[in-house]
Amino acid sequence: MFQALGARLMHATDVTRERGTVDRRSRHSRRWLLLLAAFLSFPIGPAAARDQLTIGIVQFPVTLHPDIDAVAAKSYVLGFAVRPFTVFDADWKIACLLCTELPSFENGRAVKTTLPDGKTGVDLTYTIRPDAMWGDGVPVTTDDVKFTYAFGRNKESPVSNAELYREILGVDVKDDKTFTLHWDRLSYDFAAINDFVLLPAHLERAAFAEPAQYRLRTRYATDPTNPGLYNGPYRVAEFVSGSHIVLLPNPHWAGPAPYFKRITVRAIENTAALEANLLSGTIDMVAGEVGLPLDEALAFDKRHGGQFTILYKPGLTFEHVDANLDNPILADIRVRRALLLGLDRATLTQTLFAGKQAVANAFVEPLDAGYTDDVPKYPFDLARARQLLEEAGWHAQSDATRRNAEGKTLSLELTTTAGNRSRELVEQVLQSAWKKLGVDIRIHNEPARVLFGETLPHRRFDLAMYAWISAPENSPRSIFRSDEVPNAANGYAGQNISDYKNPEMDRVIDALEVELDPEKRKTLWAEAQRIYATDLPSLPLYFRSDAFILPKWLTGVRPTGNQYPTTLWSTDWGEAK
Amino acid sequence: MIRFTVIRLVEIAAMLVLMSFVIYGLIGLMPGDPIDLMLGADPHLTSADVARLKQLYGVGQPLTERYLAWAGAALSGDLGYSRLFSAPVVATLLPRLGNSLVLLGSSFVLAFAAALGLGIAAACRPRSRLDAAINFGCFAGVSLPTFWLALILILVFAQSLGWLPAGGTGGGEASGVADRLRHLVLPVATLTIASLGGYTRYVRAAMRDALGHDHIRTARAKGASEARIVWRHALRGALVPIATILALSFGSLVSGALVTEEMFAYPGVGKLIFDAVMGNDYNLALAALLLATAVTMLANLAADLAYAWLDPRVTYQ
Amino acid sequence: MKLPLALLGLIAAVSLAGPLIAHILGADPSAVDLLDRFGGPSWAHPLGTDELGRDLLLRLLEGGRVSLTIGVAAAIAAAAVGTAVGLAAGYLGGWTDRVLMRMTDAVIALPLLPLLIVLAALDLGKIGVPHVVADSPAISLIRIVVLAVLVGWTTAARLVRGATLVTRSRDFVRAAQSLGAGVPHILWRHILPNVTAPLVVATTLSVGDIILLESVLSFLGLGVQPPLASWGSMLSNAEELITSSPTLAIYPGAMIFITVIACNLLGDALLQRFDPREARV
Repeated sequence: MFQALGARLMHATDVTRERGTVDRRSRHSRRWLLLLAAFLSFPIGPAAARDQLTIGIVQFPVTLHPDIDAVAAKSYVLGFAVRPFTVFDADWKIACLLCTELPSFENGRAVKTTLPDGKTGVDLTYTIRPDAMWGDGVPVTTDDVKFTYAFGRNKESPVSNAELYREILGVDVKDDKTFTLHWDRLSYDFAAINDFVLLPAHLERAAFAEPAQYRLRTRYATDPTNPGLYNGPYRVAEFVSGSHIVLLPNPHWAGPAPYFKRITVRAIENTAALEANLLSGTIDMVAGEVGLPLDEALAFDKRHGGQFTILYKPGLTFEHVDANLDNPILADIRVRRALLLGLDRATLTQTLFAGKQAVANAFVEPLDAGYTDDVPKYPFDLARARQLLEEAGWHAQSDATRRNAEGKTLSLELTTTAGNRSRELVEQVLQSAWKKLGVDIRIHNEPARVLFGETLPHRRFDLAMYAWISAPENSPRSIFRSDEVPNAANGYAGQNISDYKNPEMDRVIDALEVELDPEKRKTLWAEAQRIYATDLPSLPLYFRSDAFILPKWLTGVRPTGNQYPTTLWSTDWGEAK
Repeated sequence: MIRFTVIRLVEIAAMLVLMSFVIYGLIGLMPGDPIDLMLGADPHLTSADVARLKQLYGVGQPLTERYLAWAGAALSGDLGYSRLFSAPVVATLLPRLGNSLVLLGSSFVLAFAAALGLGIAAACRPRSRLDAAINFGCFAGVSLPTFWLALILILVFAQSLGWLPAGGTGGGEASGVADRLRHLVLPVATLTIASLGGYTRYVRAAMRDALGHDHIRTARAKGASEARIVWRHALRGALVPIATILALSFGSLVSGALVTEEMFAYPGVGKLIFDAVMGNDYNLALAALLLATAVTMLANLAADLAYAWLDPRVTYQ
Repeated sequence: MKLPLALLGLIAAVSLAGPLIAHILGADPSAVDLLDRFGGPSWAHPLGTDELGRDLLLRLLEGGRVSLTIGVAAAIAAAAVGTAVGLAAGYLGGWTDRVLMRMTDAVIALPLLPLLIVLAALDLGKIGVPHVVADSPAISLIRIVVLAVLVGWTTAARLVRGATLVTRSRDFVRAAQSLGAGVPHILWRHILPNVTAPLVVATTLSVGDIILLESVLSFLGLGVQPPLASWGSMLSNAEELITSSPTLAIYPGAMIFITVIACNLLGDALLQRFDPREARV
């Protein structure tokens, strides 16, 4: 049920991430009245005890609605205040946050079904924690489940993950706390319903009367400090668009009490200003999930590392260069291998990222359960790269750029997201490195919105450098399966941008998704990675890392390395004694 | 006078209508199609969804019709919805307009006051060392790239010395007037320095001109003190040409404010325009551009009125 | 006048000779050396290296070539457009004059940078420019020149119009008219020569303004695109590195500053030579 979901999430998150990067200097302002109020208020001295925490992030969440727009900054803030049913935790296991236990075939909460068309589906039964309450004291009930399902199913609703609700054929309510979801398919990660985040029906139902206007009328937009919108350890108490969000403990939270009495999340999109604020103590820490780009964090570490705890956490973001296999030059596997061999990725990550970003040999992250090291590798080897190009018919010339027998030059266009400084730097490294092979690279960058919105789906590129953001054990269906190539017929859906077609890969992906036995699945994962590394539909570069800059006295922050933010476990946070 | 003001206001309105059409057309030519972006985010939209969205956003309709629909809504106070901020455009614009006016107003007042002093000092002692120094300083001022000046100020005062914040407006629960002002220092300084050179040159030229007039000679002959001559007689005459030139300079002041706001992450209209254009936020970019134009033209009108008030010989018909 | 002229000449000569200097030094301004990033000054790299280990001096020269080319080309083009408008307005008078001058006033008074940002972000493909042209590396240069002309023509237009109005009623123009000389001939032979001097001044001054404009647009990411570099785009990269390696920001900025101030001083000196009574306002 999650294959396409996870993949689309990758895409959506990537677009939003990139958007954040392009607009890196953007900030918003506070309301006029609040500005006046601030003018009249007095500065408050620093608190005596450390019961407050101020966090800097580089992007302000435009909405706090849990089910509209998948943006990293929003997930970060909501981690304090909203409980999803399930998430992946720091050990990459599915954790049950709002439910009492995960469904499984053993405990009888998961039941295989046969659908009218003969396919296999599954019925999953969850029970909401009995003590779960919204911040205004109203219990979280199956009424909220019904409302959220109706919201997600509605064609006019602005839900970000509409696919999820298409896969849920129906909801049966047993009582106030227990309900059953009927799924139209069965896959290995069936128990995870991470994106099914409840909305408070008692507050939101009125706003949803006109679904097309819901985006404007939802209380998350019109009244974001209403305590009834939140069911986590904290509630949003102050929301100043573009500036900051204040979180206070939720009095109706029944779980372990959070340590900090007040958490302020402040958006400072200018990273130089963010660092200055950190040094001056205006903010205590910088979130890794929505924080400094790695190279800036490394520079900060070099100068001020001693004053902070700096954690580097490799993540699920896979940087790579897609090759358009429709291009006759790139269709030749020897050329793709030569390009990868001609690239000294070890030195690149060592010098630009202080070795904090692992070189990728295939598309699965080393932390993932499906990861294998046993794949064909392409270490830096200029001689071998040149030899492959000669074999492919591209012969060295005196004027540097290789030509083939017809006199065509070995010239390719390389595209990435304009305005992403780190990528633009790496791009120039690639250009310089491939020039040594006799390959002429023309750089043509485009804004993220154009690249992801038009150029890649319409496959108007030779080489394109960007990232896939996935989830743990996320099926690669939409990026590698042969029927996921975007074209006019499918409305440019799918993310197999390379036009990669290998029946073997298709078979492995299909088998992988329905294989419920973890060991057998691991074998299939290894197979998929070997096929990828052999075929190289894209050139793997490295896995990105996030840098968490924390005060030395702060404890309990455990980066997950997946898309779920540390803030979901804010009740573990505390002060070192 | 009232008649003149009314005529000018009508002209400004006409200009804004014209500009709105031009900008509306231009913005449609920016890269990307919001519908395509939506499709990218949700590959399973049906063709009915697409038709509905196109209907909603009007992308499928001819330019003039779309414009008229937009203008009609705009006149009734509905400027649409910002894609980037997920909020109505008006609610996004107004607080930023306040911030921008604070920045523009204080920089203008400071720069103009300093320019008066420097320009008069230079004009009173033509060809002196002081004059030459001020003159060179002016050249330096107009030759500095605003963003570079901002960078250097951030480097020196925020990074090296750590005296002032590098960006933002401050605010938050623990901020007072002092904090707000501290955040304003560097942006205002940048914009002031950026416009000071030009203003000083205007003042100097106008004063030189005014000091050469007959009535100044008469006043001198009558034995009026030099200070009285400069500050009363000459300045009064010089202010008239200065006002005309200042009126024309508001456009570049707004341009300078855009760069300054961008550099200091100062949430004003200029920065909003940049973000909206970069983020393909049609409605927001359009409204913000028009607002910047309107503010410039109103400032322009104010300078014209000041001109009439300063020079009794001018009567507007 | 000598100093700014010499300074400009020097900057132009060295920038133009950049490829030659690179050849002599045996270095390539775009050659990346990851093992020598943020290098300090050395014999091999007199100004040190940038964030990718490229020679900063050679990069500066390359950027100078781009910035100066844009400045000069756009200033001349703007002067030509402005002259045409000014001649038309001044000579034809009447409605033409009123409309053209209204336009000029409007362009001068408008907040130009915000509008230029919109223009710089336009998708050329949407206005019918073929894909091959719209995606070529040179297009970012041409685009900036066009933008600079769009905002830069007004000074020349006002100057030329004023001079044309004055000259039009002079005796020798009347004489030429009565002898049956055609309009183009009169404009070309009798009126233009009278505006050459102020036009040269205005063009010199606008070179500086256009270099500033180019640097702002490139800095904002809307101007020259990599792998081409201009002083403005070099600064754009340096912004995030300002704390760790300030020199990367200081050098290109200083080059812009020196070049623009030299243009302004030269323009001012020319003005005083042509017309000692007037100081530039």
